[in-house]
Amino acid sequence: MERIKKFSTFTIIEHAIAMVTFLILAVTGLIQRYHDLEISKNLIIFLGGIDMVRIIHRSVGLIFSFEVLLHILAGAVSLYRGVEPQILITGRDFKDAIHNIKYYLGFESKPAATGLFTYRQKFEYWGIVTGSIIMSITGLILKYPVDTTKILPGILIPASKIIHTNHALIIVIIMLWHIYNAIFNPEVFPLNKSIFTGYVEGSKNIIIKKL
Amino acid sequence: MKILLVMIFLTLWPYTLFSSEECMDCHSKKGAVIHFEDGGSMDATVDQEELRLSVHSNLQCRDCHRDKPEGRHPERRFKSRGHFKIKTSHLCRTCHSPQEIKAKSIHEELFIEEEKGIAHPCTNCHGSHGVKPTRKKVYRDEDLYCLSCHKKPLKIRFKNGETISIKVERTHLESSVHRNLGCSDCHFGFSSTSHPVRYFKSRRDYTIASSEICRRCHFDKYVKTSESIHYTLLNMGRLEAPVCIDCHGFHSIQHMGREKILIARRCQRCHNNVYEIYIRSVHGRALIDEKNQDVPVCIDCHTAHDIKDPLTTDYRERIPDICSRCHSDPSIMNKYGLSTDVIRTYLADFHGITLSIYRKQKEERLQPSKPMAVCTDCHGTHDISSMGIQKEVIKKNLLKKCRSCHPDASENFSDAWISHYGINSKRTPLLYILDKIYRVLLPLTIAGLAVQIVLHIWRYAVNR
Repeated sequence: MERIKKFSTFTIIEHAIAMVTFLILAVTGLIQRYHDLEISKNLIIFLGGIDMVRIIHRSVGLIFSFEVLLHILAGAVSLYRGVEPQILITGRDFKDAIHNIKYYLGFESKPAATGLFTYRQKFEYWGIVTGSIIMSITGLILKYPVDTTKILPGILIPASKIIHTNHALIIVIIMLWHIYNAIFNPEVFPLNKSIFTGYVEGSKNIIIKKL
Repeated sequence: MKILLVMIFLTLWPYTLFSSEECMDCHSKKGAVIHFEDGGSMDATVDQEELRLSVHSNLQCRDCHRDKPEGRHPERRFKSRGHFKIKTSHLCRTCHSPQEIKAKSIHEELFIEEEKGIAHPCTNCHGSHGVKPTRKKVYRDEDLYCLSCHKKPLKIRFKNGETISIKVERTHLESSVHRNLGCSDCHFGFSSTSHPVRYFKSRRDYTIASSEICRRCHFDKYVKTSESIHYTLLNMGRLEAPVCIDCHGFHSIQHMGREKILIARRCQRCHNNVYEIYIRSVHGRALIDEKNQDVPVCIDCHTAHDIKDPLTTDYRERIPDICSRCHSDPSIMNKYGLSTDVIRTYLADFHGITLSIYRKQKEERLQPSKPMAVCTDCHGTHDISSMGIQKEVIKKNLLKKCRSCHPDASENFSDAWISHYGINSKRTPLLYILDKIYRVLLPLTIAGLAVQIVLHIWRYAVNR
């Protein structure tokens, strides 16, 4: 069985940081958004009160924002070095998506052939990356409303609140999809380990390009 | 034996206090004698026991013997014992007017004879210090019995020298909400056969003790009051803290709620500075100028009996509830064209959400890290006034309020509060569009990804 290097050590570490911080942010954020629920109340009390929940959410949010910034910088450096990006969405990915849905419905005999990343992974990735940028910016605005309004209009605060609370849900949904694809998907169940090991088993995916 | 002596002393000591005037120094001793010009004499000893059992037991010597001022015993001469009796019987008429005496049919004849020159001293029938009714009076009701003395301008004197009138106006009783009660319903322990003598240091002590009477019927209010800041102050020795009768009065007790301004004025007696601020507020002006009865007065926010310290976090956290009692009620707000959305929009915003979570976590003794802005922080407390009608004025006023908690706030900062209007297309188009986008985007994302997963699983199952 051919083992192909898919993720660099740097990416593996990035994923681990993102995974942990995201989990904390999702929990401490959701209980704030749905504070009326009994489970939220219990969790808030368990974590030491709403003030403590906010301290955790904001501190971890800062770490997460740094990670987002680091990821963008690393991507920029790679591009500068002339590394060909594998994760960009191309016209082919949309064709793949349509092809796959046809396949699911029985109009095609085989699933779409795929590159290093499937169209699902690419959409997940970009959903998460754009979402994280949006969440980081609006999060910072909400954390520093007084400083923000020294240079920007005040309406940005409630606007950020709407974006932050709603976009959080979109990211959570994408993340649920990601969890399905990486864990519960019958083809990879119980776990697609590639993000932890860095390698993919050659037989599982049809590889067109190698690293 | 010692115990017996102590008991005798204890029974008699109030009486010795009562007759502490110099009179009794001499008149309680055997051998005090009065001599008359005709050579006759009379025992001038006053039997204290007899006096105690008389209807005048609550009177002081000087209340009858008015010509004997303190510190001086006038030398007077009487021709005979008969002359003495006639003269002293005139003392009775200082309280019991001739009309009152004549009103009793038995006295009619005596008055006729008196005009003819035949005197009938009162003491012949009624006795002197041991004066008692000649026959047992049958009163129509208890009030009449008590009022037979208490309609007179009687006074009681406290240890510190203060006095208080114990004259009771029948009209006051009849106009009060307690008009159907008898005297002893409140003045427990007093009756036609019992009139305990009590001693109080001061007028205030007497008032405070008298307020204890109320709880025998109004126990619920008493319990509430015992949780109030006034009661706490009283317990700390601040005797000026109000008790029942300071606010409600006593014999002329009326319903409190007839006119709201009257309630405010009762509080004003002690809290005049607050009252002065209140009457200039939107609520106060409506109450004074328009006699508006919808506006809150003191007790609507502070409650009447279990008045809590308004400076505590507990009280502060209840303020939105207090305001919402009226400001969420369309039946009141519609009259004045005011929005009932104020509380909902407050609770949907950062301050409101935080406050409601603070309230929930309070059960677990988790204290808030800082006070949250509530209605009064922006709108004021006793000085609640309109925030303004022009946008610029509102913004200026609001910014001042923001800066009391966020001192660095710039002019833009107050725009972060979209006021109590909520999100709408005219006032906040940006928020309106964002809200709409997510209302579409969220369900689309959920549906799209759910379809992907379901189809994928379905295909996998079919292939197997």
